Amino acid sequence: MSRTILEVIDLRKHYRQRSGIFTALQWRERFIPAVDGVSFYLKEHETVGLVGESGCGKTTIARTILRLTPVTSGRIVFDGHDVTAMSARELRPLRGQMQMIFQDVDAALNPKMRVRDILKEAISTHHRLSDAGVAQRTGELLEQVNLKKSKLSNFPRELSGGEKRRVGIARALAVGAHFIVADEPTSALDVSIQAQVVNLLRDLQRRLGLSYLFISHDLEVVQLVSHKVAVMYLGKIVEMGLADRIARAARHPYTHVLWSALVEKKSKEASHALVSTRTSAWGVFDFERPVSGCRFAPRCSVYEAKGRPAVCTDAATEPQLRDIGGGHYVACHFPL
Amino acid sequence: MGAPLLEIENLRTYFYSAGKQAFVRAVDGVTMTIARGETLGVVGESGSGKSVTALSSIGLISGGPGVISGKVAFRAHEGERNLLADLEDYVSLGEQDGRIMEVSKDETGWQEHVERIMAPVRGKEIAMIFQNPRSALNPFVTVGHQITEAIRLHTSTKDPQDVKERALHWLERVKMDSPRLRFDNYPYGLSGGMCQRAMIAMALSSEPSLLIADEPTTGLDATIQSKIIGLLADLKSEFKIATMLISHDIRVISRLADYVAVMYGGAVVEYGSAPDVLAAGFTPKHPYTAALLASIPSAQNARDHGDLPTIEGEVPDAIDVPRGCRFYARCNRVTDDIRSKCARREPELQEVAPGHRVRCWLYGD
Repeated sequence: MSRTILEVIDLRKHYRQRSGIFTALQWRERFIPAVDGVSFYLKEHETVGLVGESGCGKTTIARTILRLTPVTSGRIVFDGHDVTAMSARELRPLRGQMQMIFQDVDAALNPKMRVRDILKEAISTHHRLSDAGVAQRTGELLEQVNLKKSKLSNFPRELSGGEKRRVGIARALAVGAHFIVADEPTSALDVSIQAQVVNLLRDLQRRLGLSYLFISHDLEVVQLVSHKVAVMYLGKIVEMGLADRIARAARHPYTHVLWSALVEKKSKEASHALVSTRTSAWGVFDFERPVSGCRFAPRCSVYEAKGRPAVCTDAATEPQLRDIGGGHYVACHFPL
Repeated sequence: MGAPLLEIENLRTYFYSAGKQAFVRAVDGVTMTIARGETLGVVGESGSGKSVTALSSIGLISGGPGVISGKVAFRAHEGERNLLADLEDYVSLGEQDGRIMEVSKDETGWQEHVERIMAPVRGKEIAMIFQNPRSALNPFVTVGHQITEAIRLHTSTKDPQDVKERALHWLERVKMDSPRLRFDNYPYGLSGGMCQRAMIAMALSSEPSLLIADEPTTGLDATIQSKIIGLLADLKSEFKIATMLISHDIRVISRLADYVAVMYGGAVVEYGSAPDVLAAGFTPKHPYTAALLASIPSAQNARDHGDLPTIEGEVPDAIDVPRGCRFYARCNRVTDDIRSKCARREPELQEVAPGHRVRCWLYGD
């Protein structure tokens, strides 16, 4: 049985909101609970997919795991070390083991550095190697991510989107990372290139035994690459389970909405049931008007169909993740 | 209904790359038509010339030499107009073995000329929705003001109170929530989906005959994407507005388009009705379209093949365009019979079934 490489326990991250000078003068501070009590774990050689809409806290989780952002409370245990309690110096050796692939390929690569220098910098940050050693490692990396040697002397602007993505992946591998947080690695790419990146990530996992936390708003891609999928809504995980279960037997109404969004895209004749989910009036969530109880209730078709039961909106009975068998967790009073 | 609303004929738009001392053949002989009330989906990878085709036809190309040949016939209320009228007076082309190698163009003269042609058309007769709604809206001006400006400029409604009512009407039409509130919002206060709705409201407010939607859903969340697509579908059935829909996502195209043009390397490689072009399984179709359909990251595609099928190789170089078929280097359906033709001669866009044309040597010579 493979060991647990990452464990996230009751992670919370509340951002302080500063909205102009007058609220500051009133000494009234608002907090935005971007991540509000998230727990999950990741085993070695496994991929956990994190899916949800913009603003649900996916990227915040990624950033806190790598400690690019401090946490408000909760623990993140990576390879037996509590990342949240470590000093910057203690953290340094761990940084070589975990890396992030950033969403924005253009912003992630220094525009004034050639590909060769980008990779060299990453290699020599964590390993002291001779020039020949660096050159050899660079060659290996290029081969791993399937990039031509001739691209080494190119600047990022001279590369296509897919190539830039490959350089980003190579850079993450350069330091010897075996755990990679991939934040929307496919979203900025053409559909035809997305498939290449998905294949590359899966291939690297097989060959190098990598573990991924794969973050995306595209449920379909997540389901393809992940062993387990966690669906997030407004800072909380609402459903979690094996990828197959989430794909075929999702129980949370929100997961159904995410799927139906995809189905609609595929076929013109979406069924009536799906149309009704789509047109159910839902605004954009406002953190300033927190909903008590279930956060999804205002957008939930089940909540409407059941005649707005009080249990859904009572703060005391906010639904918690519970096991419904087979490692499948749902946070809903009326799972489908 | 007679002649189509928009007819793009043999459009060529080149750019000059000073670094490489050569022409970038961004759009190289594109022909497509849009009938009244119909949606034409233009699909292809980045750099295939989709956006440049759209921008060329409404005179929004900057950079030289730009549009160098072609005809764009537009038939709105005032009869037929060629949006590239008298282009040949400004451009002279030098050909070498059937390929344009030299271009001299009076760019400033053409720019002034095209502005004169387009002034009554752009924004009024032809409206456009851009890919990134946040950067397409003016960040310093409220959403409401931007829409009222479009209405004042392009419609006969001039009275300030009426104009405002009209703007609110359009915001409601695009299902913006609490339109009265949003009217006074600046773009930064709106989410991506709401910005896109505001853009669509602005485009529709001038009651155009043709809407050009360039990647209207790219960069939005999956759920918001599907809502914007739903909105476009509703508007299409309600207003019967002709639309040119540009997207790299063949799923978006399949949901909205009546006709589909598949672009590759600056040329249309397949053209036909949406069911014909996008049908699953084997119908006469371009190998590139088949590969595009197969590479959609979906569970179904992965299950059939283990790994996801991809299109090997790279998007063709628009500078050093191959002599033969543009897709030859990446094509997986070349047979020995046609190999020599594929490598040497560019196939024509041939009719393989009524209304369905494919640019491939597999289908006839």
